[in-house]
Amino acid sequence: MPEKSMKLIDLKEGQRGIIVSVLGGRSVTQRLTDMGLTPGTEFKMIRKGRLCPVEISVRGSKLALGYGVAAKILVKVKE
Amino acid sequence: MKITIALAGNANVGKSVIFNRLTGLHQHIGNWPGKTVEKAEGTLHHEGYTIDVIDLPGIYSLSTFSIEELISREYIAEENPDVVINVIDATNIERNLYFTLQLLELGRPMIIALNQMDLAEKKGMCINIKKLQKILGVPVVPVIATQGKGIHDLVHESINLVEKKYKKPKIEYGKEVEEEIQKLTKSLSKIELDYPKRFLAIKLLEGDEEIKKLIKRVETKIIKIAEKHAKNLECIHGHHRFTVIASERYKISNEIVKNCVSLKPCEVRFSDKLHEITTHGVWGYLIMILSVLSLFYIIFKFGNFFSDILVKSFMSLQPIFEQYFGTGITSNLAWGIVEGLIAGITIVLPYILPFYVILGLLEDSGYLSRIAFLMDRFMHKIGLHGKAFIPLMLGYGCNVPACLGCRIMETQRERLIAVFVTTLIPCAAVTTVILGLIGKYVSLTWALSLYVIDLIIVFILGRIAFKVFPGEPTELIMEMHDYRMPDLKTVAKQAWFRIKDFIYIAFPLIIACSFLIKVLDVTNLSESIENLMRPITVDWLGLPVFSGIALIAGIPRKELTLITLATHGGTTNFAAILTPVQMIVFSLVMMLYIPCIATIAALVKEIGWKKAIFITVFEIVFAIFVGGIAFRLLTL
Repeated sequence: MPEKSMKLIDLKEGQRGIIVSVLGGRSVTQRLTDMGLTPGTEFKMIRKGRLCPVEISVRGSKLALGYGVAAKILVKVKE
Repeated sequence: MKITIALAGNANVGKSVIFNRLTGLHQHIGNWPGKTVEKAEGTLHHEGYTIDVIDLPGIYSLSTFSIEELISREYIAEENPDVVINVIDATNIERNLYFTLQLLELGRPMIIALNQMDLAEKKGMCINIKKLQKILGVPVVPVIATQGKGIHDLVHESINLVEKKYKKPKIEYGKEVEEEIQKLTKSLSKIELDYPKRFLAIKLLEGDEEIKKLIKRVETKIIKIAEKHAKNLECIHGHHRFTVIASERYKISNEIVKNCVSLKPCEVRFSDKLHEITTHGVWGYLIMILSVLSLFYIIFKFGNFFSDILVKSFMSLQPIFEQYFGTGITSNLAWGIVEGLIAGITIVLPYILPFYVILGLLEDSGYLSRIAFLMDRFMHKIGLHGKAFIPLMLGYGCNVPACLGCRIMETQRERLIAVFVTTLIPCAAVTTVILGLIGKYVSLTWALSLYVIDLIIVFILGRIAFKVFPGEPTELIMEMHDYRMPDLKTVAKQAWFRIKDFIYIAFPLIIACSFLIKVLDVTNLSESIENLMRPITVDWLGLPVFSGIALIAGIPRKELTLITLATHGGTTNFAAILTPVQMIVFSLVMMLYIPCIATIAALVKEIGWKKAIFITVFEIVFAIFVGGIAFRLLTL
């Protein structure tokens, strides 16, 4: 049974997730996959402030994502 | 014998440090033909070889997302460098290898420079270089560029590679993808282009528009075949074709990392703690505000002191100059040229140079990308993302390198907005006027208020520009590399190149214009100009008549406004010739009214003369409008 996917932005700080897919146009998808956010990739939500964008740790490095783009990434929570 | 080496790699992997180490001072920085992307070339001589080194832009992929990526792959395919050195960050191998795999597909002889080995060790990483070399099929050279370690080996290996016959390594994708690639490669067997067939096949499967265009010129049937193969892949994997290929590449690099890198547990490092606190939702902002304010405080405290000394010593030259050349018209005109030169020097040395050195240190250490992170949501309000904060900061030094710095923005539209708001930032020259006039004769609070007013104006105009130029803002997707000790040589070079922008563009214009103003003075034309400007200066802005020529003098260089104000007002005690309200209105207009001539030249270079003129005219009208309103409000 497929698990319910959610937006990356809805993850809590410290939670781990797995990328399901990226919604949106080709250029966003391309940039994100180039940076290593391919389907099935595990990541950790590091920071999500009220003023600043989202910070995740993926493939051994830190990535800053604007709120808009973080809302376009579908993920599922890794238990 | 002559060899050409191209350096390629992600951003922030120490590529430019390696470039500097290889070429020393024999460098030439220009632009790629017809593009506003920097091209750095250098030469070195080694064992009878003349080696040309080209530093390609720092990129993450070889797709066509950005112009930098296109330039890099076109260069490698068309110019056929003898060796490509792929610089990899040893602390971040997985992401870097994604790019390496694409470079390998271009088929040029390649060496991998595994840089920042010292940092990787500190991170507890143990890298099996022999194994890595075996899997990738190309030489891997461990490097610590900041200490110069491994640089010699890179040169040595490059020469080796040229002398031996290069055996192309082949890295296979997963079964389904590999099958499609091989089938498509076969269909391409009759196509003769600069790119290797396998590369073309992979790019066609990805749906690369540029490659499609190239192939359409010789053979249209293949596009249809490729479309079928790509559809097939999309069907099997359930994702966009581009994502399918990218996932495959990342799968390979992930496997390689698993095979070659082992991690020892190590304690939390200082750089991680620093990262955490400087991106914190509360502390991060506090630290940012404090560090930016202290940066400005130090620069202008120091700059003021140093520039006073410089001005005094230069001005003591005037009597000597007059002794030799007399006080006639020609001598007076010649002194105008000298004055222009002095004006330039007294702004570069005390203010712009130290400002850019400190900013460079912050940039190279990684702090500026943290500021970009913190400022992202704010910058979004004016249709830009966090990275645009960097050229804005540069603008407080000088608008010229700041305009050129807007190239870090991804799209044309964003460059335009960024360039526009950058020209509204008060540069060091404007600051000297504000401090010298408002800070000295009105109050420091008013001087600071002018900066706040300026920021509000930047925000409002930026927001309007965002609404006027249609399009979605690009989102921030930025890697934040670990903090590291800045490399002094790289910082010094960066500062020098930024100042060079100023010297080459601004200096000649400043000198020419101060000469022109002297001509106006000598021929008494300035008086008639002042009278012509009377409706604006006196009637609308409430300023004295002689301020007209001072505003004109600000066109070449804004600090000249103060000097001209003194000469035409007949005194350097501005309190005797201007009321506080007049000083504020004058400063406000001067701050906004026109990007100086050098900035206009930079604008023309970056966005074309039509848009440059539009911005210039708009800012003149806008400044006069705001000045008049301020005058009326302040005299209520």
